[in-house]
Amino acid sequence: MSHVLHDIEKQIIKVLQSVPNLTEEKISQETKLSMDQIRRGVEWLRQKKLADVSESVNISLSLGKNGLDALKNGLPERRLVNLVKDGPKTFDEIRSSLQGFDFNAAIAHAKKNDWIDIEKTYTGSKISLKDPDADVPNDSDLIISKLGEKTIVPTEFDNTPLAEPLKSLMERPDFIIAHEEKTKTVSLSETGKKIDLEKLDSGAIDVEADVPHVHAARIHPLKDTINEVRETFAHLGFTEIIGDLSQSSFWNFDALFTPQDHPARELQDTFYLKGLNAKQLATPTQIKNVSNAHKKGWRYYWDIQEAKKMVLRTHTTCVTIKYLADKKPDEARIFSLGRVFRNEKVSYKHLVEFNQVEGIVVGKHITLRDLMGIQKEFYRKIGLTKVKFWPTFFPYTEPSLQSMVYNERLGKWIELFGMGIFRPEVTKPLGITKPVLAWGGGIERIAMLKFGLDDVREFYNNNLSWLRTASKCQ
Amino acid sequence: MPVVELSLSRLQNLVGKKANKKQILDSLPFLGLDIESLDGNIVRVEYSPNRPDYSTDFGIALGLQGILGISKGILKLDVKKQGNYEIKVDNSTSKVRPFVTGIIARNGSLDNESVKQLINMQEDLHFGLGRKRKKSSIGIHDLDRISFPLKYTTTSRDHRFVPLNSTKESSISEILQDSEVGRDYGSILGQSAKVPIITDANGQTVSFPPIINAALTTVTTKTKNLLVEVTGMDKQSAEDMLSIVVTILQGAGFQFSQLKVSGSKNSTPNFAPRSITFDTDPVNKILGLNISGSVLLSCLKKCRLDAVMKGKKIQCTIPRYRFDIFGGMDIVEEVALGYGIDNLKPAWPASVHIGEKNMTSEKLDSISRLMTGFGFMETLNFTLTSEQILYEMANRDSSQIISVTSSKSQEHTILRDSILPGLLENLSKNIHETYPQKFFESGIVFSKGAPIKETSSLACVTASEETHFSEMKAVLQSLLRIGFNIKCETKTLPNHVFFSQGRVAEIVVNKKTVGYIGELDSKILENFRIRTKVVGFEIKLSGLIFD
Repeated sequence: MSHVLHDIEKQIIKVLQSVPNLTEEKISQETKLSMDQIRRGVEWLRQKKLADVSESVNISLSLGKNGLDALKNGLPERRLVNLVKDGPKTFDEIRSSLQGFDFNAAIAHAKKNDWIDIEKTYTGSKISLKDPDADVPNDSDLIISKLGEKTIVPTEFDNTPLAEPLKSLMERPDFIIAHEEKTKTVSLSETGKKIDLEKLDSGAIDVEADVPHVHAARIHPLKDTINEVRETFAHLGFTEIIGDLSQSSFWNFDALFTPQDHPARELQDTFYLKGLNAKQLATPTQIKNVSNAHKKGWRYYWDIQEAKKMVLRTHTTCVTIKYLADKKPDEARIFSLGRVFRNEKVSYKHLVEFNQVEGIVVGKHITLRDLMGIQKEFYRKIGLTKVKFWPTFFPYTEPSLQSMVYNERLGKWIELFGMGIFRPEVTKPLGITKPVLAWGGGIERIAMLKFGLDDVREFYNNNLSWLRTASKCQ
Repeated sequence: MPVVELSLSRLQNLVGKKANKKQILDSLPFLGLDIESLDGNIVRVEYSPNRPDYSTDFGIALGLQGILGISKGILKLDVKKQGNYEIKVDNSTSKVRPFVTGIIARNGSLDNESVKQLINMQEDLHFGLGRKRKKSSIGIHDLDRISFPLKYTTTSRDHRFVPLNSTKESSISEILQDSEVGRDYGSILGQSAKVPIITDANGQTVSFPPIINAALTTVTTKTKNLLVEVTGMDKQSAEDMLSIVVTILQGAGFQFSQLKVSGSKNSTPNFAPRSITFDTDPVNKILGLNISGSVLLSCLKKCRLDAVMKGKKIQCTIPRYRFDIFGGMDIVEEVALGYGIDNLKPAWPASVHIGEKNMTSEKLDSISRLMTGFGFMETLNFTLTSEQILYEMANRDSSQIISVTSSKSQEHTILRDSILPGLLENLSKNIHETYPQKFFESGIVFSKGAPIKETSSLACVTASEETHFSEMKAVLQSLLRIGFNIKCETKTLPNHVFFSQGRVAEIVVNKKTVGYIGELDSKILENFRIRTKVVGFEIKLSGLIFD
């Protein structure tokens, strides 16, 4: 069997063929390759069954904070014994040199080791040595001083008199710290040992090996859908018009027969631009006719000041209606696409700013069924094939329909674009005499279907890992 | 859109046993009712604000009967002139709330669910048609507690009565201050010393419109006879609202007697239907159908309208509560609904139109293609952004700030005048990702001017330890040369708040400054918690590559 080996692999094999068991660190030193390269190389060799890796855990001990303190000043219980060596002392006397935690630890351990007596008197408790002549064992002190010199492997104390005191010291807080260190020892498998590095073909590379991911710089996924929608509208014979995001209330609302006390016009639904009023609204005739339509249809005092207030457009319809009012075409297919705004609480399904597209068909002979057909064709072109229509309500169209599209991933019908015929109350005052059919809706919703998203906010998070990996599922 | 909760079994009882629950569920969307949730027997539907008659199951049942063919045409309304029910209007109301109207509903019975439906109806009517009670509001009362004639007049704010859901007397001022409805709707009455009031023949308070009824006339499941009154600023809208209540109570099985209204420009409401006469041809033409007159009549009847042929024309009779029907186009929609939207087959219109994208869109597209070619990732940020990102963190001059009123979100309060700060925010959010990071965005920026000016800009940034000024300048020059055959120069700029001193330049095309390019100032990077070097530029595209 011939092997195709990476240069890293070859170097590792070469080292291991002269010394059979080595840690990864050692291999790194020997080969002068980085630890990262060694880890990768060892992993490749392991997968090819050319090397075995055995993992072992080494524990080493060193002094903790309290241990270092004991090394410097002696263990608390040793210090206590030294204090009472020359005769009993009261708690207060002892506290003057052993405070707080040390005091408690000293009493507890000296008592546990049965070195001291505590006698309660009227003037306070007194401590004395139990047997002033006996030697107090110093095993623990020994351990501390040994660890003070160097770190120690715990097995060194096995089967010695120091084993028990060590165990008890390790139970005390912060005296001794145990470090766990994992080492990987690498050895060659039988096949690995037999590889003759000299005979390997040096020009061959492993063409089957895994490679790292590369990231493409790309158009934003939502923009990708926007472009697709724009392209599709153009294919369907629609010509794009553009308009400002900031609009007068006149074109955003009044021209669309939305009464001035309509809830949609309130601050809590629409963004008004602070202190900004339109300088030029429309032609005097347009203003007069729209005003009259409102007075006739809604029976109220129509206020031109209200119409001058600048808003962030709530739909792209303000752009299309102004185009129709100015050009009055007999035949037309136009569309407008761009950002629109709603003063909403942001959530997984609502944004304050999103993209909308709206197509308009003007024509003497155009019918509602035609509009349904155009829409069906639009959906087919962007890959949505199960479509049905339901009645709905829009303030400025009549009749109005909404299209429902079936989504396999969610297993349900999703409401997409709306459509309808502009009300005569909208078109007549603006001098538009032919029927105007409109259709459109939000684009993020379509993009969510395409990219399998359930949270619309993801499009504007600009999360690089998502931008780098997002892929179309429809 | 308003929502109404329905019990399917109750709805089935109202519609009639001929319809099963599945038929009912399948038909709801074809009345324009969106099913929001379905949980066993309970279905929640969204209805359109133009059809307030769908605010209760009584109204929806009426519609379902029609579309399912169980009962068609107008439900005849008989308002008897018997009994001596009258309300007299005092002139003083003309300054605060000039109009009142109403009706007597008799011999009905209301179970718990019916009362619930009526309360839902009342709330929805107050919110929508009534414009939060400002334009018109309803009071429904137990008729048997009231002596006629009633008086609609005004009273002072120290007038006392026991309000609904209470057992003790309060003054009008107390109600306006202490009760929730008082606080929510008191402002409708403004500062006027006199407020509207309805009292009965014995001088008892019946209602304090548009705020609250008196406890005296509380409606319970034992109530058999009702007085409905609607007050408002406009006679017609008050009567519109009343007609909805009448239709729903009719569905609930009540019979009606007239409430005479007189005095101060008020008059007794008229529930007579209207007629519209129209040709069949335009209806067929706009729908793309070719249906006969008799089919057309049947479609209208399915929508609970009446219609007859008058020669070649159709005369359609519209009940009072269908005030959403303005004219011919509304009739077209009714025909479509009656015909069944499902039966309308999509058609494909022949067209000679050649579509095209707007020049500006095309050019922005080509910029995107070039920028991704240079290795930059496109990001999208909001044009309605926060002061913190745009000015505070970016350390920029905020004197020309353009803000919106009453935003519900702190993060969306001002319009951006620059794209670059948003890109820094994007870098800031991605500091845990691998470098180098390269971003660009093109889009609208705003500035002040008669009253506001919108232009398009392009900004881009590179963040990495190794990046430097010349790398970015190379991208800028290549982009303009390859994409638009434009030659640009960079001219030394002594200082700029956004960029490091000595590493910033103006972008100049044909002796005009069109943008800035440089290494971002370390303080600003610190504000955005970016730990690598960043170079970037922003350039105005409007006036350069398109108008």
